[in-house]
Amino acid sequence: MMGRFVGAWRLFRENLIGRIGLTLLIVFALMAVCSFIPPLIDPMYQPMHGVDPEISHSTGPSMKHWLGTDFIGRDIFSQLLAGARIAFMVGISAAFMSIFLGTLIGMIAGYAGKTVDMALMRLADMIMVMPTLLVVLILSSLFGQLHIWTIVLIIALFRWPGVSRVIRAQTLSLKQRPFIEAAKVAGASHVRIIFRHITPNVLPLALLYMTFRVTSAIIIEAALAFLGFGDPGTVSWGMMLQWVWKTGHMFQAPYWLLPPGICISLLTLSFYMLGRAMEEILDPRLRQEGASD
Amino acid sequence: MELRKYIFRRLIEIAIIFFVILTVLFLLFRLAPGDPVTRMVDPNMTPEDAEHLIEQLGLDQPIGLQYLYYVKNFVTGNFGVSFHYGQPVADIILNRLPNTVLLFTTSIILSALFGIFLGKIAAWRKGESTDTWMTIGALICHTVFLPWLALILIWLFAYKVGWFPLTGMISAEVWIDPEAGFLEKAWDIVHHMILPLGTLFMIHFGSYLLIMRSSMLDTLKEDYILTARAKGLEEKTIRNHHAAPNAALPVVTSVGLSLAFSINGGALTETVFTWPGIGRELVFSVSNNDYPLAQASFLLIAAVVLLANLVVDVLYAYLDPRIRYE
Repeated sequence: MMGRFVGAWRLFRENLIGRIGLTLLIVFALMAVCSFIPPLIDPMYQPMHGVDPEISHSTGPSMKHWLGTDFIGRDIFSQLLAGARIAFMVGISAAFMSIFLGTLIGMIAGYAGKTVDMALMRLADMIMVMPTLLVVLILSSLFGQLHIWTIVLIIALFRWPGVSRVIRAQTLSLKQRPFIEAAKVAGASHVRIIFRHITPNVLPLALLYMTFRVTSAIIIEAALAFLGFGDPGTVSWGMMLQWVWKTGHMFQAPYWLLPPGICISLLTLSFYMLGRAMEEILDPRLRQEGASD
Repeated sequence: MELRKYIFRRLIEIAIIFFVILTVLFLLFRLAPGDPVTRMVDPNMTPEDAEHLIEQLGLDQPIGLQYLYYVKNFVTGNFGVSFHYGQPVADIILNRLPNTVLLFTTSIILSALFGIFLGKIAAWRKGESTDTWMTIGALICHTVFLPWLALILIWLFAYKVGWFPLTGMISAEVWIDPEAGFLEKAWDIVHHMILPLGTLFMIHFGSYLLIMRSSMLDTLKEDYILTARAKGLEEKTIRNHHAAPNAALPVVTSVGLSLAFSINGGALTETVFTWPGIGRELVFSVSNNDYPLAQASFLLIAAVVLLANLVVDVLYAYLDPRIRYE
């Protein structure tokens, strides 16, 4: 196990795209960690309600506010740091939940076969054709302002089908292997076979898909916030873009328009690059699967 | 014959899926806090009009009957009256649909063609700097945040340089002018369309390029490419006539698979550019609590996605004779 890991790491280090992705990711992780510091220095750097008392409109970068301030004098740099925290939180938790669901459903469908398989895969097909962003929009119009964790949950509930298809295919091929047969003969229960014998074999693939799901979860949350349906209790990059767009500052304040967009794009790029690099290491033949979303 | 049977079977499947979506939406509208009458009937209507609408939509009936009314009204195209526009919802969405289809299909076709073309070249020059730059460029295009890209394009090309209009689909002065001919009006739309088209193009083109590239690399390893080489065919012939057509098939599949994803992007693009399409109407109606319009736009988008998936599948089977309609 350890040897396999070291070997994979060596392959990863040789992969240019993987190296770029990992470097970017570390930078953003540092930003997320640093987001806890500025409010401790001065309450004026509170990303949500910290206002510089001397400033009442959007100002450009200065020594005091490295990236300038927004329309009511809040510090853009500290908002950017707080946005990194939200992006990681949303991306990783939504991806984790959807991968968990997708792996579980995929394994059950592949292992059980017949009616269960058909029912689950039909459900997957149905959810797969739904545009997630628009679904969340409709839900938030019906149920009012959604909490950030509700948004995460909805994203997870609508993003499992792609993963479950891949895991199901993998399970179908594993089911034919002699070691599963041996486990059955030895009297292992279905639950034991699924969790002890199949899970470890599909886990690398599931982890790979997690990186792609992080990307799509971050994009959906950012787009939602951009349209004005984000959680008003948080500062996310999408929300910063919404503010600059809706308050009509986009032509006057490039220092405000550029950073959040660059951050969203680079963070999704870094997870995507990481995923592609992992894909090449795990199985070069899989390469085209993940690119579709 | 086989094809007709296949399409027929898929249409039935689509009808069933759509019916499920319709039902889930109905339940959601009843589950949500507040009562259905305030959701479907504009509070600013005159009492007589409201009465009439409630009767038409069956909102005074028990929930089971309400559902039957709902299905019946859906089949006959009666979606109620929009709060914001004060017009029947069906008229509004039928008016917006062509605009969305125009923008969306043009962008998908253009980006698929360019993606296939450049992906082919990138794979052919694997390992050279052309390939590296194309791959990195495609990755960036694929992951850039769409609304931000749209804002940047507006800022650069509409505000700074002033080549294109800021937003919208037509300029009023051209369409009011009685002397403006068909060509001038068409040009006016194209002029407004270039930036939103460019945004959608960039987002899609990257992923098509990446898929084409890897599919082409796989195809080049096939035996028939070796045969073509052994026959002494020109490299260009092998690339364009033997490898590329086969390698392009996965791109068609991915157009179908990523449709739901593209629809999200379409709605965002329409919103930022205030392009009068269905996606913008959905976002707009959700922001304004215009429930009848939101519900109908959502259903229409779902129907379009389902049908477009069928079109892609049929196209795929047509392009690849090895596929049997199962």
